[in-house]
This record gives sequence, structure tokens and C-alpha cells, in this order.
Amino acid sequence: MIQTQNLVKRYGREVAVNQLNLTVRQGTVFGIVGENGAGKTTTLSMLATLTVPTSGQAFIAGYEVTHQPHEVRRAIGYMPDSFGVYDELTVMEYLRFYADCYGVDRRTAERRAKELLDWVDLGAKRHSYVNALSRGMQQRLEIARCLMHNPEVLILDEPSSGLDPRSRLEMRAVLQRLRSLGKTILVSSHILHELGSVADEIGIMRGGELSAIASVNVMLAHSDAFRTLWISGEGPREAWEAAFADDPHVLNVVDKSPAVEVLYAGTVEQQAQLMKSLMDRGVVLYQFAERPTDIEELFLRLTDQGGEAD
Amino acid sequence: MRANPLLYKEFRQRMRARRTPLVVAGYFVSMAALTFFLLYENVQGQLVLVLPARSEQVFLLMSLLQMTVVAFLTPAFAAGAISGERERRTLVVLLTTPLSPFGILVGKVLSSSALLALLLVVSLPLYSLVFLFGGAVPQEVLAVFGFQVLNIVLIAALSVLWSTIALRSGWSTVLSYATVGFMVIFSGVVGYGLRLLAQSPMEFFALRWSNDLLALNPLWMEASLAGVVNVSRHAWVLFLGFYAALVAVLAVPAVFRLRPQLWRLLPGDERNYQ
Repeated sequence: MIQTQNLVKRYGREVAVNQLNLTVRQGTVFGIVGENGAGKTTTLSMLATLTVPTSGQAFIAGYEVTHQPHEVRRAIGYMPDSFGVYDELTVMEYLRFYADCYGVDRRTAERRAKELLDWVDLGAKRHSYVNALSRGMQQRLEIARCLMHNPEVLILDEPSSGLDPRSRLEMRAVLQRLRSLGKTILVSSHILHELGSVADEIGIMRGGELSAIASVNVMLAHSDAFRTLWISGEGPREAWEAAFADDPHVLNVVDKSPAVEVLYAGTVEQQAQLMKSLMDRGVVLYQFAERPTDIEELFLRLTDQGGEAD
Repeated sequence: MRANPLLYKEFRQRMRARRTPLVVAGYFVSMAALTFFLLYENVQGQLVLVLPARSEQVFLLMSLLQMTVVAFLTPAFAAGAISGERERRTLVVLLTTPLSPFGILVGKVLSSSALLALLLVVSLPLYSLVFLFGGAVPQEVLAVFGFQVLNIVLIAALSVLWSTIALRSGWSTVLSYATVGFMVIFSGVVGYGLRLLAQSPMEFFALRWSNDLLALNPLWMEASLAGVVNVSRHAWVLFLGFYAALVAVLAVPAVFRLRPQLWRLLPGDERNYQ
């Protein structure tokens, strides 16, 4: 449904996106994660026909973005990372305007607007002015706006950016509901954790390149094998280092004083062995606990080990 | 579904804005005060002594003043049409809809012109007062009214195009007012100055340039519609041709701004407008 072939975007000498090859299958959710400046927004901007690739090709629903932009625009719903809303329009008028832009007939637009507003929990706000809504509400309204013409593909650029924690949770719930619509969705974020519960596949962008792709299912399957241990105690530094070095299941140790965080690929029994090993070396343990595995760390672990884990 | 949804939305937004009734009321009150002042000066309190020649001057003065005011008001409503959308981050979504650049520009031009045209409409009853004193015939009033509407649309089009080409509303406002300054002040002052110079040995040069420059001045052309000055058919061709060409020339980079796919037709990088 979405495919890019050696997609490149340069601004002068600066390469924003480099040889991007990406395939998003129909009805799946693909998450792009990367730091600011990684090339996420440029990639989505090219797919949304706002920016022209320097070289390479991109197809959406079978249409090429540079040569068939009109068809692509009809096939996509695009939500930019930073957007504004029109003053002096109510929520319903706002949605009707975009429905008119796509040539949706009045009756369908009216019905769809009401359904979508209920769907994003804004049914009670349909007669409010758009600029009077909170930022979180405006973000959800944008999701409804993207769906007004019933597009096959949704391109969402950091839909949770700039939101407070509560609004982020509400937005995540909306994104999870979006999955049930069967749309093909390309969503970006600079926080991997945010996409873990939403995406089928996740790709990491660094320096304009897609450095790794992993299936969320594979990651979840691996998450049982990977545990994060939180250990605190007192003892000679050498004793700590020797205990971790001797245990082959210790993958990574991060000093987070006054404790250490250990990424561990072993069973509960093997954890007990590690605990015993530390105590045998004279370490007095205050805490030895298992924490939920950070999806970000797990992802990096998986992709560092095997490139594409899928 | 609407032919130009942007136009409809803009009408709704503009008419709901708080400043709209203030602008319309303020304009009407000012024009009414001016009209009554001019009419009083015309008759000097003696309603039985009506001088149609003087009433004609009232009509001309009102028309020229109205043209000047709307010419300088139009950029205030149109110069931020596209650059303002860009600054408010609403343009980026608009450009991912199937609306064509032409549709976007036309919607913006007509919606910007609408409020100014409304100002002309509310002032029409004041013109009817001039009829009482025999200053103008209805055909003249209609011709002047039509020409003023044409100029509003023209200045709005130029302002919207500058607004699309310039990245910031500040720049588009400066460029729009510079254009109106050329149309109303420069062409008038220099054109009329050259006409005065035409008494000198440079007669041919001065007169030709004077005629050409004055032909680009909407006030001069409006005065010809009121029958005060004579202009040739060539002057009308020059007025319409020059400004149509200016709109066409500015429309090219404006469309390129709105549709980056067109940049692939030219060498070099696109200018990312969003």
C-alpha cells in the first residue's frame, strides 16, 4: 500500500533522507521512530506530496507521489506534526469544509462528521469553536479530519507531540481504535514506547536512513526472554563486575546510582543464581527486582543483534 | 459539495470576525459625513439654488476618494491571505487536499474582495443623494461602481499573489502596498508632472509617457468614466493589458509555491514553502 524505492531528499548538500526503502502492507500500522532531524518529517512530507523527492520513487495505493500527486492526495489523510486550526469556525463547520475540499456530498459529510466526532470523543463539542478546543482535543479533531474523506492510507506525523500525559493517553487510545478500521497507517514518533501498543512494525530512522525494522509481535515474543533487573546494594566494585561478567545471561549493565539496571536474558532460576553469586562475593543486597522491559532497549537489543528481526 | 469550498469558508470566517461590522459601520459613517459635508458645501444652505456642475464635482470627489480608500484598504485584507495561512500552520493541510492552486488563489482573491465590495454596496445609497442634485446619471454611477469593483479584485489578486510568493506576511504587505503605491501615487504624480512638463520642448516624450503612466492610474481612469477627463481606447487597453500581464507573471511563481511537483520541471532544488 505504501512503498518507497531508494527515496532520497537533499537540501543543497544536506541529505535529509538517504536511499529509503520502505514497504507498509495494506491494513497494517507502521511506526517510524527517530530523533529530531532523523528525516521522519521529510519522509512523511514527501509521501504527502508536500515535498518532491530528489531521486527515487514512492507509491501510495499504487500512485506515484511525484507524477500522480492528485490521486495520492485523494488516497491519504495527512496529519502534520505542527498544525493550526481556523478561527471563527465550529467543529462541524471545520470538518464540513474539508469534506467539501474532497468533494464528499453534504449528507455523507454530515453523517460522517457526527460519527467521527463521537469516535474521537468530541461529540459534545461539535458546536464549539475549533480555536477554543484544548490542544489534545484539536489533535483528536485532526484525526477525525483525516478520516472525513475515508482515505485508504493515513500518514500521521507525531500525533502526540506537544500533549500533556493525559492527552497522550487519550491520543494513544484513539490510535489503537484506528487500527480496528483496517486502514494502512504510517505514524511517526520520537518515542518508541508510544508506538509499541499501536504499530505492527517499527522502523528506526537515523541520519535520514532506516537503520532497522522489527515486527512488534517478534519484539513482544522476545520480551519474555528479556528481563530488566533493578539491583541495589553495597559491596566492592570488583565483586559487582565479576558477578556480572561471570553470568552469560547479563546482556547490559547501566549504572543508575544508587542502583544498577541489568538487561537479563535468563530464567527466574538463573536470576536466583546471579543473586547468589553477588552475595557470595560479599555484596549486601538491598533490592533485587524485575521491572517491565523497556521496549526501546529491547528493540535496540534485537536490531543490534540481528539487523532485521522480522 | 461546493464549487470552491475555500471561498465559502473564507466568507463565513471574515463575516464572523469582530472587526468586520466595525469596518463596515466606520466606513459608512465616514462616507456619509463626507457626502453631507460636500452636499452642504455645494448648495450653501440654499436648496432652491441647485448647480448640477457643482454636484458633478461632488460625485467625482466622492468616487475618487472612495477609490483611494478601498485601494489602500484592500491589501490590509488580502496581503496575508496565503502567507498568514502558512504562519498559522493551516496551509500545510490545505495543500494535501485536492484543491488546485488556481482554486486556492481564486478563493482567496474573491473572499478578500468581498468585504471591500460590501463597503462599496453600503455606500451606494449615498450616491443616490447625488442624483437629487443632478450631479450624475445612473450609467455613470454604475460604470464607476463596476470599475471600483474591478480595481478591488485586481488589487486583491496582486496582494494574494504577493502573499503566496513572499514567505512572510510582513513582506507581502510591503510588496502589496508598494504595488498600490505605484498604481495610485507614482503613476499619478509622475504622469501628471510629465503632463505639466509637456509645455516644454520635450513635448512629445513627456506627453507620451504622461499618457501611458496616467493610463495605469485607476483614479485617472475613473475620472474618465465620470466624464471629467478624456482618455483614448489605447489607454484602456494599456490599463487592462498591463495589470492582466502583471497578474499572469506573478501567478507563475505563486503556483510553483503551492505545487512543489512543478519544480521538477526546472533545474535546482525546490523552495519548500510549507
